[in-house]
Amino acid sequence: MASEESRRDENRREENRRVELLQGTLDLIVLRALSTMGPQHAYALAARLEQVADQSLTLNQGTLYPALVRLEQKGWIKGTWQKTENNRDAKYYAVTKSGLKGLHQEAARWRKLAGLVDKLLADESL
Amino acid sequence: MTADLRRSIVRFKNAISPAAAESELDRELTAHLTLLEDEYVRRGLTPAAARLEARRAFGGIDQTKELQRDSRSFVWLHDALRDLTLAGRLLRKHAMFTLTAVLSIGIGIGSNAAVFTLINALLFQRPAGVAAPDRLVDIGSTRNHTGFGPSSYPNFVDLRERTTTLEDVYAHPLFPQAMSLTGVDRTIAEGIFVTPVTVNYFRVLGATPALGRLFDARDHDEPGVSPFTILSHRYWTTRFASDPAIVGRTLTLNGRLFTIIGVAAEGFHGTGVRSGDAWIPFGIAGTMAANRAGAWLLLGGRLKAGVSFDRAAAEIANIGRTLEQEYPEENRGRGLRADSLSPLPGNGPVVTAFLLLVLAIVLVVLTIACANIVGVLLARAAARRSEVAVRLALGAGRGRLIRQMLTETFLLFGLGALVGIALARSAMPLIIPRLPPLPFPIEISLRMNVGVIVFTSGLALLAALCSGLLPAVQGAKTAVVSGLKDDSRSPERLRLRHLFIAAQIALSILLVVVAGLFVRSLQSAGSMNPGFEPHGLELMSFDLSQAGYTNETGPRFARAILDSVRNLRGVQSASMALVLPGGFETQERALQVPGVTPSDGQQAFGVDWNAVEPGYFTTLRIPLLSGRDFAEGDREGSENVAIVGEGIARQFWPGQNAVGHYLLQPTIGQRGPTAPTRTLRVVGVVRDVKASSLIDGLAASIVYTPLQQQYVPRLTVVVRGRPGSRQTDDLRATMMSLESDLPLRFQSLEEYSALGLVPQRIAIVLAGGLGLVGLLLAGLGVYGVTAYVVAARQREFGIRIALGAGRSRVVRMVLGHGLMLAVIGSTIGLLFAAGAGKLLSAFLFGASPLDIAMFSAVAGVFILTGLAACLVPAMRASVINPLEALKCE
Repeated sequence: MASEESRRDENRREENRRVELLQGTLDLIVLRALSTMGPQHAYALAARLEQVADQSLTLNQGTLYPALVRLEQKGWIKGTWQKTENNRDAKYYAVTKSGLKGLHQEAARWRKLAGLVDKLLADESL
Repeated sequence: MTADLRRSIVRFKNAISPAAAESELDRELTAHLTLLEDEYVRRGLTPAAARLEARRAFGGIDQTKELQRDSRSFVWLHDALRDLTLAGRLLRKHAMFTLTAVLSIGIGIGSNAAVFTLINALLFQRPAGVAAPDRLVDIGSTRNHTGFGPSSYPNFVDLRERTTTLEDVYAHPLFPQAMSLTGVDRTIAEGIFVTPVTVNYFRVLGATPALGRLFDARDHDEPGVSPFTILSHRYWTTRFASDPAIVGRTLTLNGRLFTIIGVAAEGFHGTGVRSGDAWIPFGIAGTMAANRAGAWLLLGGRLKAGVSFDRAAAEIANIGRTLEQEYPEENRGRGLRADSLSPLPGNGPVVTAFLLLVLAIVLVVLTIACANIVGVLLARAAARRSEVAVRLALGAGRGRLIRQMLTETFLLFGLGALVGIALARSAMPLIIPRLPPLPFPIEISLRMNVGVIVFTSGLALLAALCSGLLPAVQGAKTAVVSGLKDDSRSPERLRLRHLFIAAQIALSILLVVVAGLFVRSLQSAGSMNPGFEPHGLELMSFDLSQAGYTNETGPRFARAILDSVRNLRGVQSASMALVLPGGFETQERALQVPGVTPSDGQQAFGVDWNAVEPGYFTTLRIPLLSGRDFAEGDREGSENVAIVGEGIARQFWPGQNAVGHYLLQPTIGQRGPTAPTRTLRVVGVVRDVKASSLIDGLAASIVYTPLQQQYVPRLTVVVRGRPGSRQTDDLRATMMSLESDLPLRFQSLEEYSALGLVPQRIAIVLAGGLGLVGLLLAGLGVYGVTAYVVAARQREFGIRIALGAGRSRVVRMVLGHGLMLAVIGSTIGLLFAAGAGKLLSAFLFGASPLDIAMFSAVAGVFILTGLAACLVPAMRASVINPLEALKCE
């Protein structure tokens, strides 16, 4: 039990490091990808993101799961079990109506933030 | 925002029941891996290789699960639940410890809950069914600027007319009156407690009826004008089965017909703790209405809008001063005082002080219980050192460990609080009937309300934190290496435990000594010896003016009643008096003493006064110190005589025999300094008795005059029967044969004076009981620590025995250890107690706070208890098998 706890502590530290990189952005990326691609399972989503990122982002496939559960708990995406074309079980996530609204909000916020950071970086008087 | 809220709810749910989400995640991850495998197979790998590759590409599966869990649920909550399960398992495993711990916490918390319930009921609860109680005031009479007693009717009328700060002033007698009820559906008369009130009573209080109407502007205070009655909701429910057609029916109260016009709202019982069955209009006339000296009414009023309490209080005090100047004889030394509304008018500060003292006592009990728990928890923390060391070595956080150990303590205290509340709830109804019989019903709501629950939970939480933090921190402080290496108990930890046990004994001693001081103080207050023999006295009260007797016919009839009563077979002696000791009523009269002037510049002294028939002192067994009792010859027309209490004799004629001296008495009802006076010759001196009430414990000195010379119509026959017989029926029959029209009231003197004894009885029962609990807890504590020490020193004892130490020597060592703890604790406790005694000396009515005999007795009991608690561990130590003791570690 003690070892389990220590591992969990470590995981949490690990997550915190990644969170600095990806918290919010990963959720936004997943949401955006699902809205353009239509319903997808986690594997397809991961493969698609790796493809788009084109090696610049080494995405551990497992990392998607916390983002997916966060989005699902917020009610922005909804998962349903379906069969793939090869007749395999997979949970397909689709963006909900409130998820679309959330995507717009989050995207706008991100643009604003990114624009601000850009502006500040470009401003030579600073 | 709503998305976040939604997420929090789901996370909460997942923390409490993680199973569904967990299996869903498993299924999803398996599906994910299968898809990955398919992909690698498609790329040409063998199934086995694809499986491996898929896992590699995915990354740590357990890590992913952990990350997802953290996002999916509240981890802290999940951990807390797990800690709770673990704690529950541990507590079940140590069932004996859990049982004693929960019980002692239960006693500690329960006594606090009970006392707080009482405090809540007596000090904070607003009267039911009364509008804006904050704007109501109680008004009482002061004597020499202190106290809060009843007022006379004429003073009430004057106050009501003169006040400009109060909307109105109501009045009612101090207590509900026992009346006989006939003509309902039974042929025999039944008892009913009726409160006569001024008809503005309900309007001033802002009460509403549950049925019909209450007294209003249509009703009048004059006798017979409004023959109406209002029932209390409780009486209507219990006696009349909530009869919806009750309004309009009639009741015969003391032979007079009253029509029921309404039922008061549920719970309404006026402003105090008194609670009658019905209300009738005041209906006062004749001598009672004119007697400014007889104080028997409680007053209350409502502040006018915008008037502050202080302004009204100042005005009322001012009116009191004016009334004293206008009626110097009757109102000598009397003033008026307003107090904010209280269930116990005028007794607020006394009751508050008393209840706070009791609260302090029960808090000490709780502290002792906590010290007990801390001791055991420290021992447990020590015993778990190796477990803790292993967990620390494996990387568990210390904070996490502390949290887990605290969880156990909180669970313990949570259970203790539940037991405590259950104890308090079940004990309350048991205590109430143990109270002495009161002459009238009272209503104190002892229901556990939200305030009590909040107080109790808060207290339990605080106690748990105080008790749990130290052992938890101690436990988690374990150094990994030494903790793993050896399992011996460090002496530092033992010292801490000893400290707690000594403190526990000290506090228990403090408690028991304070309890003892209380009993002593009450004894010395003389409540056990009020100056007369209160047992075996029966009282029959009536007002002769109600049956039409005048100042001319009354005295003769009173004597006739007494003669008939004395002839009854079971009667040993009998007499008659205006007031009896132990009740709350007093009569005060002005007196002048030739050659002695009052020090305050007044023209006369105000003294307590009583009118009695011959045989009064014999009947009550008040010792006659010198001179003679009143006799048949002391009648209207013969020389006016008086008998005085020893205090008065000492005050006026110090060092002399009072017999033969004279008193001057202004005639009642006449005003001004020029009023004709009566000269009284002192014929006897008697011992002083506790007069007005037994609460204050002060002996009052009274001037007695013969009833036949100074007649009053409101009289009480007092009878001392032969042992084991009650005279009530004979007395009633005698009275019926003499005068059937007279409402009668029967009581024993104990009932008459019961109210005054209530605080004493409560204090003795409470302090004694809690002292015993403290002793028990201290004994448990000593047992616990000694048993622990024996277990810890098992190896040492084993070696000693192996090396030839006698078993008796081992027993002596263990007993010596317990004795040392008990002696140190007792010494500290006695020092505390001496200090507390000094602090409490105001409550002790003159009992010495340093009662050597009691102190040593208490210390002796504790040391014996300490030794007894060590016996079992000592026996256990003496039978240690050296071989096993050395092997076991």
